[in-house]
Amino acid sequence: MKLLLNLVRKDFKRNRVITTALAVFLILSAIFMAGGLRVTGIMLSSLNGLNKMAVPPEYVQMHKGDYDEQAVADFVAQQDYLEDALVVRMLDVNNAQIICNGESLEKCLMDKGLVTQNENFDYLLDQNNQIAIVKDGEIGVPVYYAEDLNINVGDTIVLQNGAYQKKFKVATIIRDSTMNSSLSYSKRFLISTNDLNEVALHMGEWEYCFEFLLKEGVSTTVLENAYLAAGLPSNGVAVTAAIFNMINAFSYGLVALVILVISLLLITMSVLCLSYIIRATLAEENHAIGEMKAIGIPAKDIIKLYQIKYTIMVVGAGMIGYLAAIPFGDFFSATVIRYCGDGSSQWMQWITPLVGIVLLSLFVIYRCHRIIQKHLKRTVMELIRGEENTKQEGHYRLPAKALKAYNLSMALGELKCKWKENVVIFLIFVFSSFLILLPMNMNNTINNPVFLTYMGIGKSDVRIDIQYSNNLEQQKEEAIAYLENDPDIERYTVYQNGYVQSQNVEGEWEYVRVQNGDNGVFPLEYLEGKAPTEKNDLALSYLNAVDLGKKVGDAITIIYQGKEHVYNVCGIYQDITYGGKTAKAAIDFDRKDIEGYMIYLDLREGIDIDNHVTKMRTVLPNSKITPCDAFVFQTLSSVIANMNQVQGVAAVISLMLTILITVMFLQLMMAREHSAIALKKAIGFSTRDIQIQLGIRLLVIQVLAIIAGTLLANTLGEVIFAGMLATVGVTKIKLLIAPLWAYLLCPAVQLGVVVMTVIIGTNTVGSYHIRDQIME
Amino acid sequence: MIKIEGISKSFKDTNVLNDISFGIEKGDFTAVMGPSGSGKSTLLYSVSGMDKISAGQVIFEGINISALSEEELASFRLTKMGFVFQNAQMLKNLTIYDNIILPGLVAKKELPEKIRKLASELMRRMAISGIENRDIKEVSGGQLQRASICRAMINNPEILFLDEPTGALNSEATDQVLEILEELNNEGMTIMIVTHDPRVAAKAKRVLYIRDGQIAASKELRKGGDSVLELDNWLKGLQFNNSQTS
Repeated sequence: MKLLLNLVRKDFKRNRVITTALAVFLILSAIFMAGGLRVTGIMLSSLNGLNKMAVPPEYVQMHKGDYDEQAVADFVAQQDYLEDALVVRMLDVNNAQIICNGESLEKCLMDKGLVTQNENFDYLLDQNNQIAIVKDGEIGVPVYYAEDLNINVGDTIVLQNGAYQKKFKVATIIRDSTMNSSLSYSKRFLISTNDLNEVALHMGEWEYCFEFLLKEGVSTTVLENAYLAAGLPSNGVAVTAAIFNMINAFSYGLVALVILVISLLLITMSVLCLSYIIRATLAEENHAIGEMKAIGIPAKDIIKLYQIKYTIMVVGAGMIGYLAAIPFGDFFSATVIRYCGDGSSQWMQWITPLVGIVLLSLFVIYRCHRIIQKHLKRTVMELIRGEENTKQEGHYRLPAKALKAYNLSMALGELKCKWKENVVIFLIFVFSSFLILLPMNMNNTINNPVFLTYMGIGKSDVRIDIQYSNNLEQQKEEAIAYLENDPDIERYTVYQNGYVQSQNVEGEWEYVRVQNGDNGVFPLEYLEGKAPTEKNDLALSYLNAVDLGKKVGDAITIIYQGKEHVYNVCGIYQDITYGGKTAKAAIDFDRKDIEGYMIYLDLREGIDIDNHVTKMRTVLPNSKITPCDAFVFQTLSSVIANMNQVQGVAAVISLMLTILITVMFLQLMMAREHSAIALKKAIGFSTRDIQIQLGIRLLVIQVLAIIAGTLLANTLGEVIFAGMLATVGVTKIKLLIAPLWAYLLCPAVQLGVVVMTVIIGTNTVGSYHIRDQIME
Repeated sequence: MIKIEGISKSFKDTNVLNDISFGIEKGDFTAVMGPSGSGKSTLLYSVSGMDKISAGQVIFEGINISALSEEELASFRLTKMGFVFQNAQMLKNLTIYDNIILPGLVAKKELPEKIRKLASELMRRMAISGIENRDIKEVSGGQLQRASICRAMINNPEILFLDEPTGALNSEATDQVLEILEELNNEGMTIMIVTHDPRVAAKAKRVLYIRDGQIAASKELRKGGDSVLELDNWLKGLQFNNSQTS
């Protein structure tokens, strides 16, 4: 063993640069693997912990306006699959009426409701994940606002409506298991029962949440159908536990997934490097290996001799990676911990990365073993003769006429002959380019207003929602009258929403939310087929198509007002609104069946959207008016912030790896071609010529790799991104690329890094001792 | 043509060349001989500018090549001199022919057509026509060495340096190479060659005998060449004196 360790020490000294580069690769792979799994472990633990303490409902039906309390009580009593039920009173307050630290929250687009603490389940928790308690005059602020508006305990929040003013002291920051995420359009503020009753006398509108817990194994569809069939209050959205989970997975899980994808890329790159280096090292050791075999040393001992170095490196890298993943993972978990707490299964943040590191180490050791074992299968004579080294590389021809750019001609010729040994560096440069572009494209896609079309919302400047009101028609007419006379409006379209029933694959009749309107004005991205254009066309959201077992071209029977109608499925689109289950068709709903209107509009070129929205809000005070860009930014703000960080880290790591790879391969290239380099110098090529030739070879490989990496990021990247978003109902996505960055600046920086590294890395050519290098 | 003034070369603490001075005139054919490790190859590499010297200077047509920059030295190697290594060294990704014309095309002293014509002419003279398009692994050692001489001659250098050019060749191939060298020298080419073979040295006009990094003896050879036997006896005498001294 001592002998083996001595050999390893000597080998480290001899190949210091290559060994260091390889070690850095392995360490980075380990950090990202362990880091990604630590973020995942923390996320799962946090969400479990929050859900365990808060006990979120499994089905929530929101409702605005009066309702028959006895009918609801009777319904609850009759359904034996219900575990528990709760009616939550929420006082919706206009954003402009909330003043925080002297500033109104008018620009916040989310709905805000005042509630008291619930009994039995759906608790609002404090920052210690305990049931939050507020006294009279105190308020609990949702963590989203605490973060976004920098609200702290002790700050003052004022509710004001005309002459009425009520001051609250912020007593706690609230964690809400159902409405925590920025993707959730409503947020709950906690106040005392006395204060709620007092405020309700002066401002706000009551909204009710009918919340249910189901017995083990019961589907929410059963409750949903029974609820709608019973004609219970449903003047508002219905949300299931599945939707809460989707929102949480998207909010907190996306970053963990991106880190894990990066770690898989790094592992692939490390294994490629490792394979290449082991083969290059073994090729130099052929003679010694042949002699060992010739004198009868068993193959397993020879394998052990060469494998020990890599085993030591992997184990060392694993340990460093595991430890470094603690601050790394914690940095990217800060959001989920702030929103959900430390959680109830903290062991997960320690065990999951450990499992990942062990699997990574075993995989790398296994790969080393296989490569060495395969190499040893050669006969003694093959090894001693070094037949691998005498393999013909072929030749290239000099141009028939003048050799104008001789460095370029020679570099390209050599590249052609040595393409096999350049495959590995090409692949690593491809992955490196992919590593920069994938998070960048993902981030750019999420930031782009067109992302709305993947969420089931047509791209427009402004959206007006008219719903949950007893005066829907009047409000709609007022809005249309205004839009018709506003010269700043470029175009608008009105959509109406209602419910019909259709049969799912299990034969059960389900309620389907259908939108009726001109789908050509603000089009969506369709996965298959097209938007409805004919009278009996119906387009389904992806999740609905799966649920109802329909594809484009199928017939679908729906029931509306007790009558069956047959429609043709003309298209399938993706949607994450309303739980991803919607449809579009020209169904002329009766006024009484219309659940709400939605108006999409575009403003004329040059009109300031924010200013115009403020103006529209004064004219149409009862409608919800949302500027779409700001809406996307606010709903996705936490995801975008984390993605920005991941994108930055990925770019830095990728450039660092590019430097390492270049240094490592230059070393290997110069070692392998030392004789040819010396000969070139002897016949009159300058050091600069040789540096240029090596540089051109690497740059050509890199340019090709950047092209391949870009194509890969646009194709495989889309598949990966869609896979991540599949949890929220998005199965196909087109990555939106910022051309200046993706096609010009990033490649330029990568190429610049390689040029600099080649200049520095090939400086040793100047001190080459021609005679020694030629004779060796 | 070349003045070698007190050059020394040391590796770490060992002096390989110790204060050597001599001159080479245009048209000279100088053979450097000596026992293994005496410093004869180091002398050749130092005079040709392939290796840096520790002290002294090498003046080539009035230019101190020891003081040239790396770029200037590369240009000097390309245009003023030709060098032939012991084991014919060629770029393995080029054919024999492209290896030969490469320095010509890079130097651009002549038009490409003229360079190609000269390469064909040189190959014909060296009796290696017909192997132009072969890989370097597809020809014999003798052919490869003669191709190396062609490459060294492609830019019409002013001096040709050869390091044991026949060391790895059989007798027939050695004779062919010697014949070519003699012919080139007769045409006016200046040659400096390192060899341990009296048969090769016998073709030279002067022999320098190096021992312990110094010129231990020098012998002008008669026009038409001393007989190999005569040179052999001289060398044996030098070796005998050396063993007596030591």
